[in-house]
Amino acid sequence: MKKEVPIIEGLFKWPSDKPQLIGSRCPKCGSIQFPKSTVCNNPDCDHSAAVEEYALSPEGTLYSYTIHAYSLREPFQYHKGPYVVGAVELPEGLIVVGRINVSDEKALQMGMKLRVKIDKLYEDDENIYLSYFFEPVIEK
Amino acid sequence: MTESAIVSAAITEWIAAGEPTPLLMDRLAEAAIRALREANLRPGELDAVICNTSSIPFDSPAYITSSAQHFAHRLAERIGIREAQCMNVSAACASASIAFAVADSMIKTGQLKKVLIAGIDNSPRGFYLPAQSYLDPDPYAAAIKVIGATNPAYWAMWARRRAYEMGKDVEDLKEVMALVKEIHSQYGALNPYARYKKIFTVDEVLKSPIVCDPLHLYMICATSSGGGAVVVADMETAKKLTDKPVKVAASAVGGPLYGEPMPRLRVFSTYKKLKPFTEWRKPIEKAYKIAGITAEDIDIIECHDTSCFHTINWIDQIMGWEREETDKLIRKRQIRHDGELPVNLSGGTASFGEAVYSQAYIMLHELFRQLRGEAQERQAKKSLKIGVCTAYGAYGAYGCIILEKGW
Repeated sequence: MKKEVPIIEGLFKWPSDKPQLIGSRCPKCGSIQFPKSTVCNNPDCDHSAAVEEYALSPEGTLYSYTIHAYSLREPFQYHKGPYVVGAVELPEGLIVVGRINVSDEKALQMGMKLRVKIDKLYEDDENIYLSYFFEPVIEK
Repeated sequence: MTESAIVSAAITEWIAAGEPTPLLMDRLAEAAIRALREANLRPGELDAVICNTSSIPFDSPAYITSSAQHFAHRLAERIGIREAQCMNVSAACASASIAFAVADSMIKTGQLKKVLIAGIDNSPRGFYLPAQSYLDPDPYAAAIKVIGATNPAYWAMWARRRAYEMGKDVEDLKEVMALVKEIHSQYGALNPYARYKKIFTVDEVLKSPIVCDPLHLYMICATSSGGGAVVVADMETAKKLTDKPVKVAASAVGGPLYGEPMPRLRVFSTYKKLKPFTEWRKPIEKAYKIAGITAEDIDIIECHDTSCFHTINWIDQIMGWEREETDKLIRKRQIRHDGELPVNLSGGTASFGEAVYSQAYIMLHELFRQLRGEAQERQAKKSLKIGVCTAYGAYGAYGCIILEKGW
């Protein structure tokens, strides 16, 4: 039985029923970062309080994207082209870059609603590596 | 504050990436000597040698074997110096621009008089990926590892966003980008130092494979090996060394700007507070202020065009006008040598390829020749007084240099 492991620790909540990216927020000025940082990045902040872990909104809108036609070479060969890379604008004002999962690239629309999902990036003989993806929100 | 000027400039021939590293120093020393001879200077008269170092953990031949961190010292040892200060400056693709800005500032404050700025690089082939040893602790490696976002992926996202904000179909932007390549390639063909001499047509560019939609293969620069050298001096010295000193009207440096929404190369996220590309515009504004000019004073542009989108975005930012104006300028082919605003008459990175930290030498050399009327078949038809050179590097490294006829 293969083990499920996150591709990098600390990027997203896992295991969890509610998939969310883990960022950080400065309690003093409200500035938000992803991945989480150890210090606030607002140039006007007085740094009088330590940044706190902050779970980012799971939904956002597509700010921009590209279809990456080629596969990467080793050791990143599991990024097999074509795949979609997008920038997703979250309600917090943060723009997060990530892989976008769509069944049909023609369905990609600027401004479309997307939701974060934890899914398999690739597997090897021992592990299944999980990462965060964004996928379209299907309006009911 | 003392004025400063470029006295001479030389570039190496740019060739395919991957050449054995020891030859890099031979080629750089040859270019440095050529620049010194043009300046009528002997190495022993230099006050400083400033080089650019490729500090990025690329899996590149230069990084692994060249002791890049002490390039200035190695070059100084090679050409022979007496009391010159040696230092290395590193800021990804903006390295040479920023090394130039450091030299310029030190001359203007009177600390140095005659400075050689030189650099050469040998890019890795294909997509830039981090070296294996840097995999986990490095945030760039992490972004590649998790997202698979290569440099062209970021450029493509910038391009699509620009088209979207203009309310245009991305196919329209593709046409403009292809035209940029066609025009740049016509000048690469006339530049003896350029790696690519082939002239591309819009049709050929649009038929080349898509790498990162909307960027086709021929809209993205190749990876190359090349470099150059320039001699900068205080104006009083410069006037003794040459009849045509090219004044450094301004040199400005920029960094990653808090609130810039466009994800800069290799990042996971940005925090949207500002208009897109404010980060690109900032050092340009700073340079205009130092030089006491406005965009209307710019006669000629040399910009760092790792993709054809970069050329378009640089024109947007340098001119500070409505983006539509840039597209019109290009569609009317007014960026040619006989146009209203010549852009990249060197042939640009489109024709040279990218040698990571050496990019500014192509641009500085070209502006120097253009302002002096020495660019031969590439010479701009209009009368030139002021030119601007802009560079962009990973993680938000920017350099902007404004040159002006100094005689």
